Amino acid sequence: MVSSATLHTAMAEIVVGSMVLATLCAVGCLASKILPPSDFNSESLFITMDRASLAGSFLALLFIPIAIMTGNLAAEGHAESALLYNKFVYSGLALGFWSAFVIGRYRMGPGLWDVRKLAILQSATAVLAFLMTTMASSIGGKLARGESLFDVLPFWLPSDSAAILPLWASSALLAIGAVSTIVVFRLTLPRIQTID
Amino acid sequence: MNRIAIVILLCVSLALAPGYSVANPGGNGDADRDYSCGGSCHGDPSLSMPSDATIGISLANEAFSEQAVAVEVTVSSMSTPSNIFGIFILGSLNGNSDTPEDHGWHIIQDPNGGSSNYIETKMPSSGTITATWVMLSPETIGTHNLYAEIHHGSYGGDKAYSGVSEVFEVVVNEVPEGLPGISSKWVAPSFRVSGDNSPLEITTRNSTDISVEWMMEGEWDPIPASVQCVSDIVEGICNDWEADIPATMGEIDIVYRITTFNGTYSIEQPWLKMGTAPPPFEGDIWSARAHSFAFALLIISILVTLQGRFSPVIDVKDIDQTKIIENSSLVRSEENPGWLWNPDTEKWVEDPEYQEEVG
Repeated sequence: MVSSATLHTAMAEIVVGSMVLATLCAVGCLASKILPPSDFNSESLFITMDRASLAGSFLALLFIPIAIMTGNLAAEGHAESALLYNKFVYSGLALGFWSAFVIGRYRMGPGLWDVRKLAILQSATAVLAFLMTTMASSIGGKLARGESLFDVLPFWLPSDSAAILPLWASSALLAIGAVSTIVVFRLTLPRIQTID
Repeated sequence: MNRIAIVILLCVSLALAPGYSVANPGGNGDADRDYSCGGSCHGDPSLSMPSDATIGISLANEAFSEQAVAVEVTVSSMSTPSNIFGIFILGSLNGNSDTPEDHGWHIIQDPNGGSSNYIETKMPSSGTITATWVMLSPETIGTHNLYAEIHHGSYGGDKAYSGVSEVFEVVVNEVPEGLPGISSKWVAPSFRVSGDNSPLEITTRNSTDISVEWMMEGEWDPIPASVQCVSDIVEGICNDWEADIPATMGEIDIVYRITTFNGTYSIEQPWLKMGTAPPPFEGDIWSARAHSFAFALLIISILVTLQGRFSPVIDVKDIDQTKIIENSSLVRSEENPGWLWNPDTEKWVEDPEYQEEVG
């Protein structure tokens, strides 16, 4: 029988791997549209990167909930430290950023890269999503092995202390999030169309 | 061709970047561990190298049966010091069941404030470290063996090193009748929560009185603490005590020493250490889950709004509305050319298809 902690590690590795691909390709798509066309910066390369970023982010999005669920089981129902609490929060942020990335690309199509503001927003979303995912994974490393890849980097997002919300406040925030998502989708539905 | 070369070069660089290591450079944490250390690289002769460190053991005071004794392990001259290294105090080198507890000792406090036979620490810049275990001697009178072992890596992280001391024989003497001491059931607390000024509970045996003196670690002048007996006194003997040691904040360690009294006996116990722990984390798992999904939904809302704002505006006038009208229930009227009747809202609306006839 595989323990939930091992399964969580496997799922997290799939998520991180897919996201590295998606992030690199998203940044590549932006660069491809900003830089002048050349032998290297071709349309076929752009199409490949666009599809790879979509496929990578979609795969990651598929596995994030599984990774979160197995992580929940591995935590055995305890949020016993600020690190673990922050792992939950960063996972949620990663889920939000990746969802927005996939939603934007799916609703607007590959033409979104032709609109400079949208292209910048989309690649920034991918980079932030990747940062949040890396942060959540690094906290996992801190919890399991006492060290993380972020130890060698000159910066470290806050994780040793947590802004704890009581359950009622978290629930209220969740309700606000749900309502705002519904409202936003209803309002932007007629506005956002596939960009040719 | 150049592209392939770049990709291959990149892949090779990435593969070589982390270096080969299956070690745990962050350590495994303080715990009760045997000599073989659960089959770790350090315990496996085929994977480890002998450490050239000098390891010595000494006793700070004479050992009496079931009395507290401070066992000092000194490590020095380690030529390949790693970031962190582990020190064991062992009762034998059998490879299993060889912790001091397995050989009749009882650990009151380890050098890190816990009660484990294995601790992890860092080598100071002086190159010499002394770690002190406070233990109760075995009940059996006679000679008892102790060993100290160390596990460490190297800066490169490519080797596991292991070193063990010579056997150290401790002669446990017969305890004089009525000799006061610390109870074998008592374990010194490792930490107190920051700001907690609740009294320190101490369990002794054969004690008619005790005194406790404390000081901040690094200071030299101990301060006496007030002590109260909290159990019934039988024939002048009280074995449950409370000592008032002030609350600490931050990362301050307090060291304290108990002296037990009975008649003419006055036994100074070894110095013990008590750290300051941060208040317990009060986060709730369901709150964390709700918090997480709330952030996810809020981020989606914000980014989808931005996507809508940045997407090219579709002008309503540019949209062909013929089909909308054809599929709707709007009714044309001969009497009101250019206008359509909406039976749902019972209002007239402008007909976009109407073109005024020019005479």
